[in-house]
Amino acid sequence: MHRTPVFLLTGFLGAGKTTLLNRLVRDPAFADTALVINEFGDVAIDHDLVRLGEGRIARTTTGCLCCTAGGDIRATLNDLLHARSVGGASFSRVVVETTGLADPAPIVNQLIPGGAAAGGLRDHVVAARFALAGVVTLVDIVTGELAIEGHFEAAKQIAFADRLVLTKTDLARDPASRRDVEDLRQRLAALNPAAPIGDGGAADFDLAGLFRPRAYAPLALGEDVTGWLALDAAIRAEQGEGTHPGGTSGTPAFTRHGARLRTFSIVRDAAVGPQGFRRFLDLLGLVAGPRLLRAKGLVRLAETPDRPVVVHAVQHAVFPPVRLEGWPDDDRRSRLVFITDGIEPEPARRLFAVALDGGPAPLARALAGFGTGVARAARSAAGRLIGIQAP
Amino acid sequence: MMLPDNPLAPRRLPLPELSRRIKAWVRDALGLEDAIPVSVTELACRDPGCPAIETVIGILRPGLPIETVRLHGGLADIARADLLAALARRP
Repeated sequence: MHRTPVFLLTGFLGAGKTTLLNRLVRDPAFADTALVINEFGDVAIDHDLVRLGEGRIARTTTGCLCCTAGGDIRATLNDLLHARSVGGASFSRVVVETTGLADPAPIVNQLIPGGAAAGGLRDHVVAARFALAGVVTLVDIVTGELAIEGHFEAAKQIAFADRLVLTKTDLARDPASRRDVEDLRQRLAALNPAAPIGDGGAADFDLAGLFRPRAYAPLALGEDVTGWLALDAAIRAEQGEGTHPGGTSGTPAFTRHGARLRTFSIVRDAAVGPQGFRRFLDLLGLVAGPRLLRAKGLVRLAETPDRPVVVHAVQHAVFPPVRLEGWPDDDRRSRLVFITDGIEPEPARRLFAVALDGGPAPLARALAGFGTGVARAARSAAGRLIGIQAP
Repeated sequence: MMLPDNPLAPRRLPLPELSRRIKAWVRDALGLEDAIPVSVTELACRDPGCPAIETVIGILRPGLPIETVRLHGGLADIARADLLAALARRP
C-alpha cells in the first residue's frame, strides 16, 4: 500500500518556520500538501499567519507534540485520513510544523517503524498509511548560535535533520556577518555531518526539493540520534507509555521542557491606540533578551482596524511590525503569545498588557521578573518610558 | 550577523560541549568501550520540590535493556562528583 509521505518542519523559536510555510503554500507544487501546525501555548497564532488559501486542509494543535505521550501526532494524522476518506480533503503529502521547542525524538519515534509502540488500531492504521519522509530543520543566522548553546532542543533539532536550511541570510550584508554565517555552517556540519545545508535566502533555493519524498534513515544520522531515540523509548517505558493515572488519552504523561519555559497570552477585543502600541513596542525592545524567547501575534490598531499588524520578536531581535492586507479569519481581536524562560508569566503579562492599553504600569513589580544585569538597565529605562520610577 | 556577546551574561560551556563532557565522564567512570553508546538528554523533572530540569543519561549496551541514570538539574548543573555519586548508587 502506498504510504503518504510526512515531513517534519522544525527549528528553534523564531527560525522562520512560518515564513517558509507561507512560501510553501504559495507554490503550486505544494497544492497537494496538508499542513499540521503545532503551537506551544493555548492561543494559536501561527495558523493565522499562514495564508492557507482555498481548499487546503490544515490542522492546528496546541500544547506540544513532543510532550503528548498519548500519540497526538498519530491522532492528527488519523484525523487527516478520516477527512480524506469522507471526501473532505485531498492530499498526497503532509508537512508537520513543530513548535520551536519541540524535541524531535518522541515525534520521530511515533512515525518510524520500531519506534513508539502502537497503542491501538488507530496507530496501526497510521503506521500503514503514512511514512516519515524527511526532517527539515531551519536555523536562523541571527539567533541560531545562541539557541544551540543555550537550548538542548535546538541542538537535537539540528541533529535529527536530514536537510538543514539557514534562514534570514539576507541580513548578512557585510564581510564580518558573512564570516559568522560560515562559522555557523561549520558548527552545523559538526553537529550533523550527514545533512546538506541549504541557504533559504539564495536565489536558487530548491523549496520543492526540500520536501521531495525520501527515506528518512535515523541510522544514517549517527550515534547521537539513534541514542536519543532509544533513550526516549526507555524513558517512556519507565514513566508509563500512556497518560497520567486517571488522565485521558492525549494528556501529557510528562513534559520535556521543565517549569522554566512558560507561555502566556494577551487577547484584546478593543482596538489598540497608537500610544499603547508605541509603548508596547518600546517595552518589547527594552526587555528583549534570552529570557524572552518569543513574542508573536496580531494587533488590531485603532487607526487601521481592518489591517492587522504582525508583531514578532525572538530573544534579542525585535523585528519591524508588518501590516497585513486583511485579517486571516473572522476573529478580529488582538492576540499575542509570549514564551519565556525563567520568568513568572503573570507579572510579565500584566506589564505588556498595561503598556498595550496605554496606561501606567506597575513597573517595578512587573519588571522584577526579568532579572539579569542587562534587564536592570531596561527596568530603569522602561520606568522612564512609562512614567513610573523603577526601584 | 550574530548578536554581540552580552558581557554581563554568566559564562558557561555551550550545551553540546557539556553533553560531550558528561558522556566522557560516564565512559571513563564505567570503563565503557567505544562501541557502547552513551546518550544524554534533558527532561522536566518528575519529582516534586526538585529543580525544573533533570538530566537523563542512557547507557546502551548491545543486547541489554537501556540503563538510565538520572541527575537533578540541567546539563550545566552537573558536576563530575554528582555524576560519580549517581553512578555509584546504581543497583
